[in-house]
Amino acid sequence: MLVRGCAGSEFRHSLAERTKALAAKCHALRSPAHQRDQRSAERRRTKNRKSQTRWYVKQPTWRLWGEERVDGAIYTVYLKKVRYHRPTRSASSESDDEISHLEWETVRVRFVKAGTVERLVEALATDDGELESTYVNVFLATYRSFAECSRVLDLLLRRYEALAMEDVHPAAIDTSQQHRKTLVACLHVWLDTYPEDFRQLPHHPALQQLLAFTQLHLPGSELHSKVLQKLAVFSAERNGGAAGGVCLAPGMRVAAHHTCAYRLPHVPHRHFAEQLTRMDMELFKKLVPHQCLGAVWSRRDKDRSHDAATVLATVNQFNAVSFRVISTVLVEPNLRPVDRSDILAAWLDIARELRVLKNFSSLKAIISGLQSNPVYRLRKTWALLSKEKAELFEELARIFSEDNNRWAQRELLMREGTAKFADTVGENDKQLQKLLHERGSPGVSNGTIPYLGTFLTDLTMIDTAIPDTVADGLINFDKRRKEFEVLAQIKLLQGAANAYHLPTDPMFDRWFDSVIVLDDREAYQLSCQIEPPTNPPKERRPKKLNDNNNHGHRKNDSIASTSSSNSSQFYCETDGVGNAWKRDSLERRISPTRLSHGSSSSSIPSLDVSLSSANSGQKPANGKIASTSPAHPNARSGPDFYIIRVTYESDCVETEGVVLYKSIMLSNNERTPQVIRNAMLKLNLDGDPDGYTLAQVLPDKEMVLPANANVYYAVNTAYNLNFILRLRKSQQEEAIVNGKTKNKRT
Amino acid sequence: MREYKIVVLGSGGVGKSALTVQFVQGIFVEKYDPTIEDSYRKQVEVDGQQCMLEILDTAGTEQFTAMRDLYMKNGQGFVLVYSITAQSTFNDLQDLREQILRVKDKDDVPMVLVGNKCDLEAERVVGKQQGANLANHFNCVFMETSAKAKISVNEVFYDLVRQINKKSPKEENKKRIKKPLTCQLL
Ligand SMILES: Nc1nc2c(ncn2[C@@H]2O[C@H](COP(=O)(O)OP(=O)(O)O)[C@@H](O)[C@H]2O)c(=O)[nH]1
Ligand SMILES: [Mg+2]
Repeated sequence: MLVRGCAGSEFRHSLAERTKALAAKCHALRSPAHQRDQRSAERRRTKNRKSQTRWYVKQPTWRLWGEERVDGAIYTVYLKKVRYHRPTRSASSESDDEISHLEWETVRVRFVKAGTVERLVEALATDDGELESTYVNVFLATYRSFAECSRVLDLLLRRYEALAMEDVHPAAIDTSQQHRKTLVACLHVWLDTYPEDFRQLPHHPALQQLLAFTQLHLPGSELHSKVLQKLAVFSAERNGGAAGGVCLAPGMRVAAHHTCAYRLPHVPHRHFAEQLTRMDMELFKKLVPHQCLGAVWSRRDKDRSHDAATVLATVNQFNAVSFRVISTVLVEPNLRPVDRSDILAAWLDIARELRVLKNFSSLKAIISGLQSNPVYRLRKTWALLSKEKAELFEELARIFSEDNNRWAQRELLMREGTAKFADTVGENDKQLQKLLHERGSPGVSNGTIPYLGTFLTDLTMIDTAIPDTVADGLINFDKRRKEFEVLAQIKLLQGAANAYHLPTDPMFDRWFDSVIVLDDREAYQLSCQIEPPTNPPKERRPKKLNDNNNHGHRKNDSIASTSSSNSSQFYCETDGVGNAWKRDSLERRISPTRLSHGSSSSSIPSLDVSLSSANSGQKPANGKIASTSPAHPNARSGPDFYIIRVTYESDCVETEGVVLYKSIMLSNNERTPQVIRNAMLKLNLDGDPDGYTLAQVLPDKEMVLPANANVYYAVNTAYNLNFILRLRKSQQEEAIVNGKTKNKRT
Repeated sequence: MREYKIVVLGSGGVGKSALTVQFVQGIFVEKYDPTIEDSYRKQVEVDGQQCMLEILDTAGTEQFTAMRDLYMKNGQGFVLVYSITAQSTFNDLQDLREQILRVKDKDDVPMVLVGNKCDLEAERVVGKQQGANLANHFNCVFMETSAKAKISVNEVFYDLVRQINKKSPKEENKKRIKKPLTCQLL
């Protein structure tokens, strides 16, 4: 077994030091002048100590002395050599000997290692009543994993009151006052840094408690007015805040039958990168760092998901970007290979601009999309990329290599995290070097948006590896220090993100929103349609059946074509039967549609539907479709699906004049209720599909689809595939009353 | 020394991180630092041969769905984990496996099916036979483990190494490997 790193003393020591350095950096953020110096110092250090974690500050004058246990707490004690500055040599008569004698002193320094909540709150001030600012930062950033807000506040206020009531010796009166001053300072920091802790809807109990406290002990103080002001803000939000909440996000305002102005590959790359960065930046600045803690993010359960809402929003945006890459590359199966490779190239160009903007989140999202199996496997398409583009792809992908615990991206983030420009590229990064060279020195400075996943993994692993409590249930505060190192980096980058100044382009939002999102199975199917797998599949696995679906073995086609665009269920009931999988695999053999996973909607594609569909559908309006119908399994020129656009129409005033449509995929054999369900899902509508009708918009009329039609065959492909989803008359009134309609951006 | 990339997959909460930490760190958990270069590596001896295992835990990033393919592409061996106390985590594995085979474009990928939390016998809902049947269907090895009680954790990874060796006995993997960390004072 390897012993990691080094001796324990060195470890603890470095831990305390690193935390301190970070807290200092966080402070330095407020005075940007310091930043540059600090950073370059940091850089120098890291150059020397390649294999060490960043932010390491070497302080050879610290020495671990040992541990000290008192009731309810364990301290780590260090001896620190303090050097006093030699006073500027005056013409004094003192001898040199005397001075050098006083130059060094050894001081004992204690750090809380573990303790009860009471002890941890006490430690916010030192024994002399001084503010322990590093400790306060760590404590406030992490306390939620071991105590409630109200409990901590209670302890703080009680401590203040105890100090105020104490009969103190006149000699100690200064310390007591200092101590109380420090507690007030803590409250200030808390209110300023984590105002959300005090929101506690609807009545803000903690804030009320604090108000009562300040009224009694500190009337007219700065703290008192700060509390009043916070209360006013919260109640204003509560009363007026709802207004506009019903409004659609700007991105949802789509003019009727408006076709998007942007269309890959011919889009302005830099502009796209900037817009993606703008979206990321808004989410990143809103990110609440302590929601990333392992105890919150990776232990969240369903009903507590709002606890990590800001993290989830970031993750969703990341996925949304990846999905857009996958979708735009695949969604038109009949594209010429060279045109498809132009789309790859366009994404690479956007990615390149993201690198300049130091937006590592969308950059990684794009790279992930390009590396996702359905896109990555398109060898012929990739082969058409120019040499430069292929190189660029490799350089960008290298940033996110998983090798050596993602060392490349960690280093990069450290180097550029708070720098103004993307000024460093590796020696092997020819394309990126060229780019930076072309750009010269950029006129505007940029912030940085990190890929959050690295932090989330680190925090998850810290949470898994380090126990919450030590020795008889004392809270392990060293764990919190370790977590704070990560949180502090996030905070630091959030501060840096303010350097972005990017305008909003509503047209971009519209484009972003209009891109169809494919699920795994759809994407893979499309991909195989574009470039059939080379490995001739064997049977046994459903995947193989599915491949057959696209080439060869025609006899399967009529079955394979039961494909419905959403399916994910398989023996999810706990029937406890040992061979559930057997039944499942059998089912899969019959119904090869159930390959996808992760799709939240369900469908029940069944064999009887498929067998009857050949005759039951309405007569296709256009001969091309007929050729793909199961009745003519050998002619395979047309698509196996259509992409249709569905608008939701309601009588609600809010949506007046605003048409938003969502694209959905329509596979052959999908029946009206299923299509309605899919549309509802995309449009974020609740309720029973039977309560809705679906109609195709034709130039002179609307064609309402019969309740159980096979929509694929029923649509009129001579015209645009635009549809309107409506509540049935009777349902409509009810829905308005219940406010059932939710138009949310996802 | 040959290097092995191993990916641990499964639903949230089944104990992926716990297994990884248990394997990589053993009892030295107190000194664990996930941010340093070697925190997911471990050198082990399997059948008289020194191997360097690099564990790719997806911990904390399970919901970055678009990245799963990449993990799978990079992995040489897979640990598919469910918890014996949650049926749904067992059911989820079929899809995961299919995704792996699709990404790898192979029929047979080194893989171990793991029923974790076997220390929680009283809360068991997935029977041992059920696990064995699924493994049989997957054509892979099955083990029940406990990251908490340290049962069979190393065996999972050793078995994967053996499988990888068997399937690609050649040492095609000539990647430069950092010298192993030893206890040294700075
Ligand atoms: N009893 C028991 N609990 C476990 C075991 N492995 C993990 N856990 C607990 O299960 C929870 C989830 O574990 P974690 O490793 O984070 O799961 P992950 O989401 O798959 O990474 C944590 O509370 C662990 O302490 C085990 O073998 N036995
Ligand atoms: Mg985990």
